[in-house]
Amino acid sequence: MHRRAIPFVRCTSANSYAQRDRVGRPALSAKAGWGTLLGSRSLIVSGGPRLGVSKKNKGMITLFQVILSGLAIGAIYGLIGMALAISYYVTRVINFAQGQLLMIAIMVVAAISSAGCSPWIAVLAGLAASCVIGVLSYVVAVRPILAFDRFSFGWLVSTLGFAVVVENAAAYIWGPTSRPFPPLLNSSSLHIGGAILTQQQLLAIVAAIGLAAVFELVRRHTLFGKLGMAIAADPEMASAIGANITVVAVVAFAISGLFAGIAGILIGPLTFANPYLGDTYGTYGFIAMMIGGGTEKPVAAMFGGLLLGILSEGANALINSQASDWFPFLVLVVILIFTPRGLFSSGNFLLRLRPAH
Amino acid sequence: MKTEPNQALRISSLFAGYGRFDVVRDISLRIEEGEAVALLGPNGAGKTTVLRAIMGLVKHRRGTIQVFGTEISALPTHRIASGYAAIAPEGRRLFLDQSVEDNLMLGALHLRRDKARVQALIESVYELFPVLLDYRRRRSAFLSGGEQQMVAIGRMLMSDPQVLLLDEPSVALSPVAVDIVVKALLELRKRGASLLLVEQRIDVAVRICDRLYIMTHGEIVDEMNPDTIGHEGIGMINKYLG
Amino acid sequence: MNGKPVQVSTPVGRMGQIAARLKQAAGLLVVVGYVLLTYIVANLNLNLQSLVLVAAVFGILAISLDLVAGTLGLYSLGQGGFFAIGAYATTLAATDLNINVFVLLPVILAITGLSGMMIGAMSLRVSGLYFAITTFIFTLIITVLATDLQITGGTQGLLGPPFPDFPQSLTVLGSSVAWCAMLSLFAATALVWNIRKSPLYPVLLAIRDAEPFAEAAGARTALIKIGVFGLSASLAGFAGWLFSFLGVVSPGQFDWAVSLNILVMVLLGGINTTLGPLVGAAFVSAFPAVVNINPWLQEIIYGALSIFAITVFPEGVVGIIKRYVFRDGRSETIGRADQQEAAPVPLSRPNQALMQHGPAVDEIMVECRGIEFGYGSGPKVLRNVDLIVKRGHIHGLIGPNGSGKSTLANVIAGRLRPSSGTTTVRGSRVDRFAPSDRARLGLRRTFQAAELVRELTTRQNVLVGLYSSVPGIVRRAAVWPLLPSGRRDMKQMQTRAAEALLSAGAGDWTNRRVGGVPHGIEQLTQLASVCVAGPDIIILDEPATGLSTREVDHLARILSGLKAQGVTMIIIEHQTRFLFPLCDQVTFLNAGEVILTGTADEVRANSVVRQVYLGE
Repeated sequence: MHRRAIPFVRCTSANSYAQRDRVGRPALSAKAGWGTLLGSRSLIVSGGPRLGVSKKNKGMITLFQVILSGLAIGAIYGLIGMALAISYYVTRVINFAQGQLLMIAIMVVAAISSAGCSPWIAVLAGLAASCVIGVLSYVVAVRPILAFDRFSFGWLVSTLGFAVVVENAAAYIWGPTSRPFPPLLNSSSLHIGGAILTQQQLLAIVAAIGLAAVFELVRRHTLFGKLGMAIAADPEMASAIGANITVVAVVAFAISGLFAGIAGILIGPLTFANPYLGDTYGTYGFIAMMIGGGTEKPVAAMFGGLLLGILSEGANALINSQASDWFPFLVLVVILIFTPRGLFSSGNFLLRLRPAH
Repeated sequence: MKTEPNQALRISSLFAGYGRFDVVRDISLRIEEGEAVALLGPNGAGKTTVLRAIMGLVKHRRGTIQVFGTEISALPTHRIASGYAAIAPEGRRLFLDQSVEDNLMLGALHLRRDKARVQALIESVYELFPVLLDYRRRRSAFLSGGEQQMVAIGRMLMSDPQVLLLDEPSVALSPVAVDIVVKALLELRKRGASLLLVEQRIDVAVRICDRLYIMTHGEIVDEMNPDTIGHEGIGMINKYLG
Repeated sequence: MNGKPVQVSTPVGRMGQIAARLKQAAGLLVVVGYVLLTYIVANLNLNLQSLVLVAAVFGILAISLDLVAGTLGLYSLGQGGFFAIGAYATTLAATDLNINVFVLLPVILAITGLSGMMIGAMSLRVSGLYFAITTFIFTLIITVLATDLQITGGTQGLLGPPFPDFPQSLTVLGSSVAWCAMLSLFAATALVWNIRKSPLYPVLLAIRDAEPFAEAAGARTALIKIGVFGLSASLAGFAGWLFSFLGVVSPGQFDWAVSLNILVMVLLGGINTTLGPLVGAAFVSAFPAVVNINPWLQEIIYGALSIFAITVFPEGVVGIIKRYVFRDGRSETIGRADQQEAAPVPLSRPNQALMQHGPAVDEIMVECRGIEFGYGSGPKVLRNVDLIVKRGHIHGLIGPNGSGKSTLANVIAGRLRPSSGTTTVRGSRVDRFAPSDRARLGLRRTFQAAELVRELTTRQNVLVGLYSSVPGIVRRAAVWPLLPSGRRDMKQMQTRAAEALLSAGAGDWTNRRVGGVPHGIEQLTQLASVCVAGPDIIILDEPATGLSTREVDHLARILSGLKAQGVTMIIIEHQTRFLFPLCDQVTFLNAGEVILTGTADEVRANSVVRQVYLGE
């Protein structure tokens, strides 16, 4: 999710100095690619995704509307957060290419449906693609690093490098501009107590919560889920009871790719298909995971995501239209200072107040 | 290397270590079928490393390790754990977030398709440690040390291994709990298990085992019979501790 | 330094002098070469020059990050934030307030340094990944502020101030900003190099890898962490100051992705190496200039290359070169004699307290009363433990595994706070003292699982032990090799460390990395690092573990020698055959309770002891 800096460091700063554009404006490179890169990077710097409250009806936003819209976008963040958390759970590695898995799903769906296939086949292909790329990221960028040293930070470079490759490959294949994403639902919306919820938003909330619940049920009540817990707690002991860690890690990365892919398909109709989507959503997913405490319990990332969504929407509606750029982060700092492991993790202070037995 | 199909475990000239230096040097030992053998010695002698090497948890190792004639030293850990050997490790290392029964079921991972066998195994574990049946839904973090050790032994039994490896099961337990663990191990012996016990406490080892190996500085320095120890008293303590 | 200067033994004196001359000459050559390089850069065409200068700025940033990530293990993503503060503050103050940029520099360094110390203080609460996240958010907030505030010019940014040109007479030198940037890079590299050459360096690595060890040597680890982080932030602010002269300052140039990229540079080049960050910064900066093809293909190659590089060179480019070229440091130059047979050289310095008061045998050195301790809400590990250790005694502490021996050692050394009970060291209550404060009282300890820095040599590890006995290590670190006093102290410390290793019986291993020595040598290194400081009280946690029979005998001789000098010792040990002959008193612990304290014979005859070990 962090690819952008690389062309930027190498190009913007160098070129801006080189061309000495003394007009007071960053001198964008003459190359076609860089301009678009820089354009899209402003998503993170100055905008962030604004998908919930549309600016038009800002005057009559109710708290309820804020919560509903927040839940809708938060569900997406939560899904990506969970995707990050699931791969982290088993390997203790943060896959910085997670956002790109979401992007790949969107791009594949757009490409296949524009070729004339049924959108539902396209969706299946998109999900398959994000799963496969997810597994590939493990094989290429994670496993070789862990084989050398389980505690090194080398994965940071390799997963980031993987993200760069995937993103630019997508831009190379499909071009850097946005393409249409097939509408999967009709655009009618529901009116609930004065608030408006599109079908797309409703689907996002329902799907995210459903997936989180299924994941948690599987984790807690199937042997495979329990095995995942065992590996998360003590990988060496898990192998000493007969667990093949590699197989479990591959499955975890596939599930993680699936979650990211689903998030992509849920958000696709609003963002259109653009190869540079990955960073933004990867970042927000990451923050969702940290707020919730998904490093210890993946489902906590979903709570973190929903909270982040509501906070962003609320900040936009109640403070000003740019408040979502900084307000959620401020909240995150406060949360991390008071509960360093996240709000919904097992080790946080709210839970510690309970008697031990 | 000739194979001895009647020997539960046969280790020949095993070297094992973590870096360039071997913690364990040229160890050879054997466990006959149904026999219990103890590995005694001071801290740092390399006893735990021997067990870890058997399980394939030590990266650098040379020598042969055979379980009933099958060479296992080239197998990955998860294959060794699938019926050849199982370990109740130092510090117990339970999956603390999970219930007693989950810990036990995870022990039977490689038998997961054989429901009937798993059922029989878990019943036999509960028969061995009836208290675990009462606590089976409890998170294992909330058990006492003795109960946790029972779960660790139970988890080891669940994979129905040919060789049992126990690493200091008596550590930090109350006398009553030690007694329960010892009785359970004696019961396992009656059922015909072959086991390798690493111990600090001679009394525990003597009660359970047929033969004792004494290890210091990464080597086996002596092999003795528990019956002869009683006469040697303090000399034995020194031999063992020094 | 305590006491008189130690005569530097000169078995290879002349050779040493020649080597020193050669070193000086090489240093001079590097400086001259660098000045020449700078001259060339300053006269390059603008395009190429700008590339080099931006690379230099990122070089400084990478160095600043390596200072905290490499030596302290704090993976900061806050460098971009400090970088931004430096650049924006310079731009605003220079253009709006018309302040001279050189006057501004110290102000910028102070501001970024202070904000760095505040962020660094957070590292005491959160570590590892969470520290990365907190600093990441700091950068994010700074960029958002830069984007949203009026004064910073939004996404468009601001035009940086012009850098003052050379006076007429010096124009032949070329671009002034190029000289400034190149010399700054040199200064930053030299600063970090100095620190790496100072005795603070092993202490920093000890804080990273074995914090208890650093604390037990008397280092106030929290303060050092905060201070070093402040220095690193200052460096990043410095880079920002420099960057503002290179053109436009806009938010996108500082965001968290830049921070992450700096980390990539450090990891690619080789973390915790002097030149690695520079190599990484050069690679990342030069890539687009060298590989000039379709931008996406170029990016794809870039990504693939970084995966390839980190997989093939997990320790970075410079890291791998270091590993293969300088395998295990230089060969042993000190202590080739057969140390095992060497008579135990007095390890401890003449003991001041002893000389002042004379051997007051009955003086109580360590006293514990009613110590109770439990981890969390679990059962008590120590129950009402009393322990009295008299001056000059060796006090043995035995008991089965899990009986609370190490816990008691940790309580006395200050690593664990008992839930009740008091601890007195040399007559003063130390209940509120941190381990480092207790170390300054002359109380030293070793650890059961040797806490050492595996990538340093045994001698460098022993240097850590000298931390509290050489004044001004932190203060002088940044300029250490330049100070005559620094060079002299370093030489003395090296000699003392080598001597300590020699007399501990590990002289053969003086220049070996701890990561590649057997367990027994680790134990002896620990012992040397404790003894080198001349402590009054030593707590030894299973010192004989992993030693060969010969080494155990040697250890016994060392410990008797220390005792003869009046050093008080508490020894936890399982090998009673080694321990009992040494001990004046032995305490037997079982299940967290003191069963008895008495002479070795009394303990040996005790029925409980016999029962626990023999089961009678």
